Amino acid sequence: MNSPLTPAEHTLLWNDFRNGSQAAFSQLYELFSADLYRYGYNLIRNRQLVEDGLHELFLHLHEKRHRLGPTDNIRFYLYRALRRRLLDTVTRLNKLDSDDYLFNQAEFLIKPYEQTLVEEQLIEQQKLLVIAQLNKLPKRQKEILYLIYMKGLTYQQAAEIMEITIKSVYNTVNVALTTLRAHVRTSFDQGGALWSLTIGLLIYFTKILLG
Amino acid sequence: MPNPAFTVEDFCKDPTFIRWVLTPTDESNRFWQTFMADHPHKVPDIQLAIEYIKTIQFSETDPSPADLAQLKQRIWNDIENPVHPPYRRTEFRPDSPVRKTAWYQRPYWVAAAAIVLILSLGIGWWAYNSTTGLTYQTAYGKIQEIKLADGSLVTLNANSSLKVADNMGDRAIREVWLRGEAYFDIAKRKGSKFIVHTPEAQVEVLGTEFNVNTRREQTNVVLHEGKVQLSTENQSSLVMKPGDMAIVSPKNQQIQLKRVQPELYDAWKKSYLILDGKSLPEIIASLEDTFGVTIKLADGKLAEKTLTGKLRTEVAEDCIDNLAIILDAEVIKTGDTYLFE
Repeated sequence: MNSPLTPAEHTLLWNDFRNGSQAAFSQLYELFSADLYRYGYNLIRNRQLVEDGLHELFLHLHEKRHRLGPTDNIRFYLYRALRRRLLDTVTRLNKLDSDDYLFNQAEFLIKPYEQTLVEEQLIEQQKLLVIAQLNKLPKRQKEILYLIYMKGLTYQQAAEIMEITIKSVYNTVNVALTTLRAHVRTSFDQGGALWSLTIGLLIYFTKILLG
Repeated sequence: MPNPAFTVEDFCKDPTFIRWVLTPTDESNRFWQTFMADHPHKVPDIQLAIEYIKTIQFSETDPSPADLAQLKQRIWNDIENPVHPPYRRTEFRPDSPVRKTAWYQRPYWVAAAAIVLILSLGIGWWAYNSTTGLTYQTAYGKIQEIKLADGSLVTLNANSSLKVADNMGDRAIREVWLRGEAYFDIAKRKGSKFIVHTPEAQVEVLGTEFNVNTRREQTNVVLHEGKVQLSTENQSSLVMKPGDMAIVSPKNQQIQLKRVQPELYDAWKKSYLILDGKSLPEIIASLEDTFGVTIKLADGKLAEKTLTGKLRTEVAEDCIDNLAIILDAEVIKTGDTYLFE
């Protein structure tokens, strides 16, 4: 799900593209269009508008390729570009709406992740509670968490994409962690949980090591 | 840089830690394994931090590969046959194609467009919340299969109605309102919930197939496969597993769970009723709901009989005659009332 390219590979692919390689452009589309679509769809919840946004974005990239700046994280670069484009679209559509978070159709929903590591019975109810708490956070904050904890972007990059200060990003992360601490620790510390966590962790590493 | 004084939260905030959890590499695995070997007392905190991060994962909607391929085609076509004049601005701002700019920059068009937009949004909202969403209604004795825009399949039992929100295919939350009984086979959509509202409860689908019956002022949900979450005004949500039957009582909306064989509860789809394990009053209730008739027992002892087998429910008369044969009873019909004696 996260892009498998190293920063060096990002730079290489991006530079090839900027130098006019059609193959690199094609590769950009193959690697990032679905990922961009998912982010865009969460923001705007309208297939047509997301597709139009991607259409314009890739045309623009192609046209301006010789004048684009360098990057070692293409996902970050394209997320920022797509978000601005979609922001413009919704601004145009919501001229009369005064909501300061313009993506008023956005939905960032925390999903219960498939728990294979830890015993299922223990977490089921508790997990849903934590998820419900996290889902109550404002959309803007959930977008920040999405970028950092799901897409693996840095605080700086998340701040730039969302055009907010890095301090707001830190604050949001603190709020989320406080929520988690309040609701998770009690449940996870209940009898035997750490044992299963330990076993879970062992399995986790074995999986990583085996590829 | 991570250090041994780190708390769970510190780990969660550490960029190298986050990256390791999300996209582990050989290098980061080595680093954190060494870290844990050097500071074994930190291992539980690290485990908890991993758990935290794994909790903050979001649902996403995947584009269909066909849509993406089509979009690619469109982009590549436009590159080869440019129809738009060159983009004027260099930074990342959407440059609207010329035809768009031409109309929407004129002030009176802005006014007109705004009005049209408010109207259509208003209508959309109204449709969604009131009655203009598509409503399906079945007559007594009729079963209807409905394919929803999002690909889900609903089988609506006799004398039931289902209201469906507009543009199901595009909604973040797919919602329907049910009165009567229906069997749902929900199309999986990442990041898009499906909610069935009944007068007593709401069923939120976390994936797949189940039967909902709202007859006789109680809501009754049988889960065939997958996972659903049930909630009522008075009881916070409860997650059902396959084979669970949930009964929501009409008075206090408390949910009662029991284990059943799901097949016994959805045979109506194929126009028969399985008698095994059901009391005669239960069977009669379901025939009354299906055919819109009244069935009475002259002799209370009949109600205690245990029945097995299936009953075809295609034609009301035949079905009731057959039931009488199984019960070894005589049927007297007056209007819509059948008396067994």
